[in-house]
Amino acid sequence: MKALTWHGKQDVRVEDVPRPSLVNPNDAIIEVTATAICGSDLHLYHDRIPSMQKGDILGHETMGEVVEIGNEVESLEVGDRVVVPFTISCGSCWFCEEELYSLCDNSNPNAEIARSMLGHSPAGLYGYSHMMGGYAGGQAEYLRVPYADVGPITIDSDVPDEQALFLSDVFPTGYMAAENADIEENDTVAVWGCGAVGQFCIQSAWLLGADRVIAIDRFPERLSLARDHGDAEVINYEETEVYDRLMEMTGGRGPDRCIDAVGTDAHGTGVTAASDRMKQRLRLEDDRPYVLREAIKCCRKGGTLSVPGAYVGHVDTLPFGALMNKGLTVKTGQTHVQRYLDPLLQQIEEGEIDPSFVLTHERPLENGPEMYETFNNKEDDCIKVILRP
Amino acid sequence: MATHDTTHERDAGEAQQAGRAARGGGWLRQAITVLISGALVVRGVRKRSLRGIVMAVLGGAILVRTMGITPGTGERERPVGRAATGGTEVTRSITIGRPADELYEAWRDPGTMSEIMGHFAEIQSAGDDRLHWTVHGPRGWEASWETRIVDDQPGELIRWRSPTDAMVPNEGVVRFDEAPGDRGTKVTLSISFDPPGGNIGEAAARRLDLVPETIAGEALSRFKSLVESGEIPSLDENPSGRGSGDMV
Repeated sequence: MKALTWHGKQDVRVEDVPRPSLVNPNDAIIEVTATAICGSDLHLYHDRIPSMQKGDILGHETMGEVVEIGNEVESLEVGDRVVVPFTISCGSCWFCEEELYSLCDNSNPNAEIARSMLGHSPAGLYGYSHMMGGYAGGQAEYLRVPYADVGPITIDSDVPDEQALFLSDVFPTGYMAAENADIEENDTVAVWGCGAVGQFCIQSAWLLGADRVIAIDRFPERLSLARDHGDAEVINYEETEVYDRLMEMTGGRGPDRCIDAVGTDAHGTGVTAASDRMKQRLRLEDDRPYVLREAIKCCRKGGTLSVPGAYVGHVDTLPFGALMNKGLTVKTGQTHVQRYLDPLLQQIEEGEIDPSFVLTHERPLENGPEMYETFNNKEDDCIKVILRP
Repeated sequence: MATHDTTHERDAGEAQQAGRAARGGGWLRQAITVLISGALVVRGVRKRSLRGIVMAVLGGAILVRTMGITPGTGERERPVGRAATGGTEVTRSITIGRPADELYEAWRDPGTMSEIMGHFAEIQSAGDDRLHWTVHGPRGWEASWETRIVDDQPGELIRWRSPTDAMVPNEGVVRFDEAPGDRGTKVTLSISFDPPGGNIGEAAARRLDLVPETIAGEALSRFKSLVESGEIPSLDENPSGRGSGDMV
């Protein structure tokens, strides 16, 4: 079958690879009908995530049709149309029972590698390094789905792929980030990063009762989408000093809830951002925590910092003193996708939200390598790409 | 949840370290170099000047070389003269959301043992509380031995042991204790590939690439996955540009 494979920094290829087969009794195989490139795939594209191997199949936002099921699978049938959460969860460990699906104890075959790097192993993920499970990703013609009774959600209605697909990651991720922000009545919510996750943070912040939403980015098309579709006030950080502008907008209080929807590859401006790049190159730090620092500085005393952006390892010069003395609460984590599938699908089916507003490009899978480049360089106003095998 | 604890048999570890230092001081020299180069990195970074950066980079380079880290892969080469086993005994524990009796029964079943130890050994029942183990190492090395259960306390503990003249003398014990807070059972596994009285085991274990810590950690994770979810997560036949299977 055809698949997009990782071969190192900014090197994604279309390759012929073996077709996956059923291995465990709770597996299913799906024929992929639509798969998206995620902002976090760009961390892989930049070779930021450790334990990738050349030839690994990318992709963790996937939907398709069930073509084979293992003999223990009960909730799916061949022919079902499903969206697959990017988190692989067993459904029976303590964490899954607590609905902390992205922290599943049992789904990572390489738990020992993750344990040595993180202290404990989170859930396995599709196409996101060997430390995170080593499972082949969904930017391919077929995908093996473990624990098929726990992950995939069946779409019975005629909701089109481009509306349903984003249930696999970016819509629930934006939603959980807004939920983690503990938004209360009259709150101002600031969202750093207006990619797909940031856009869903903005939408979700309104759903959860925000009084005001402020979006921060540097790409005009993303800021326009945040303003025109998301009703957010916007700040272009290349034109304005973010702290000064936020203080001005909030009368010196700072935003009550701050969301970092950027993560490890933050750009930033000035000496600090340049120093982060240098340290990262010298391997003195793993991540560039520019947004994290700025959000801590800007957040209202006693406010909440929610971090859906992906980080890798160690960060340098994090203002922990500000975090502590201002009494901030930090909430983060990979998304517990399974927890949000039913309620968010219902919202889509009832027409309350159409997630396809973030979609800018739809191409055949074979165009994957070019689309990684386009998405990475933010060319052609690219915000979200769907690939069709 | 997966609460793991690791404790090496301390006396044996210290004796080994002392032995290494006595064998030409390679270990001691390495430790001193690591300390000095580490200090260079820290001081260099703190200085925040051009000289500081040079100092940090130099220190880092020495550190990388001394630690035997291969640039780009982050993998550590094994220092010469150091045992692959890294100690004679290892103990790890994990919390499993099932009652102790059920876990004891599962562990007692040769079929379960074959599945959870499948990452490093082939196991067959040899009748009467006996298991036959076969391990394939790199470059065609192979070893096999038999273990017999020597202590059996239903719902609480199982201890097994190979004959002392086995190619890789070894011993293992698993304990089942009720976990606090109604979270199931704390399962503690100790394994040793070199029981007191011999160093043949360590040499053979090195040849076979047997690392007790990894074996114990993975065996516990696999046991937990099997009893909690009914299967062990697997990358068999996992497709990639390299072919079909894990890490091919």
